[in-house]
Amino acid sequence: MSGIGNSVAFQELIEQHRGILYKVARAYCPPEEERQDLIQEMMIQIWQALPRYNAQYKSSTWIYRIALNVAISYYRKTTTQQRRQQALDAKVLQGTEADSGEKEQQFRLLEQFISELKELDRALMVLYLEERNHAEIAEILGISISNVATKVGRIKDKLKQRFSQHQHQSNGR
Amino acid sequence: MEDKDLKALWQRFEEKLDESLVLQRKNAEAISQLKIKSTLASMRPAKIFTIVVGILWVAFVDLLIIGLWPYATWFFLISALIQVILTKLAIGIYLYQLILLGQMDISGTILETQEKIAALKASTLWCARLMFLQFPVWTTFFVHPNMLQSGPGLLVQIVITASFSFIAFWLFFNIKYENRDKKWFRLIFEGKEWTPVLSAMELLSEIRGFRREDLDEEYV
Repeated sequence: MSGIGNSVAFQELIEQHRGILYKVARAYCPPEEERQDLIQEMMIQIWQALPRYNAQYKSSTWIYRIALNVAISYYRKTTTQQRRQQALDAKVLQGTEADSGEKEQQFRLLEQFISELKELDRALMVLYLEERNHAEIAEILGISISNVATKVGRIKDKLKQRFSQHQHQSNGR
Repeated sequence: MEDKDLKALWQRFEEKLDESLVLQRKNAEAISQLKIKSTLASMRPAKIFTIVVGILWVAFVDLLIIGLWPYATWFFLISALIQVILTKLAIGIYLYQLILLGQMDISGTILETQEKIAALKASTLWCARLMFLQFPVWTTFFVHPNMLQSGPGLLVQIVITASFSFIAFWLFFNIKYENRDKKWFRLIFEGKEWTPVLSAMELLSEIRGFRREDLDEEYV
């Protein structure tokens, strides 16, 4: 592929899958200003990996793999203190938007609960919520399909439990 | 809350996409026109620099050993030999890291790629273990047989070298992930530069947990 052809293919790919980059980045990096850096790093990795793109995979599978690998590596670089601060910021944001409608509040809660998951569980949950089928999730993560089903069930239960805990706490106030 | 409710909530992301769209378009154009180094690739120059400095040091000590062989004491020669062998092993670890960096495929499966990145970072701990193993030779390279002829001189030397050897071997065998929560471990590795190494070891353990469940299911 020529340089220009590559450049056009890259821009089309980013345009087509911008949602994936944005959602994965948001799941691993809540602060807006740092998130843009993370998305840029994902794009750089996609650009550099493009000549090695294997057409046997769906382009979305390929993009998810790169986006998640970059996001997890980024998240690993942040210190425990930074992670605590991010979780705290998410809670504060959730609190300040208490009057922003029930749906928006629940969305913020979902984001917060997802950010409390371990990074591999978080990847699994993002893919599940993105309505990827178990075979594709297994292909992206590198685990068996049966393991995907077991883990998804377990993490979903955890999330639902967190929602009901929050509900009880709100009702108790 | 039902599955469909969770998924419906997640779909609210779509409404928030437009806010970052313009910036992403600009970034995509800029990236495709510039030669930019990624974070992973940026690790390479530091590794190459360390290897070059290491090779220069090893060459210097090797020349010193050869040049001083007829004149130097056995204490110096043996200490220098041990030091140079340990440094060569550390250079070997850095070369292994460089090879791992070359093999890194960011579009590989999450578990495989993260395991490689974590193994790469965690292997730095081996360099620390080798560094501690050098402790005793820094107490012996300057010793001259005349210094050991008096009773107290010999005793002091034995106590110092034996203490350093004990600490060196104890640390060599005990610096491992399982001891990460021990006070002494935290004391040695509390610096900022060790955070990614310890974090990588934690991830390696999580990945093994993920894999183990996979294997368990195959046997069920």
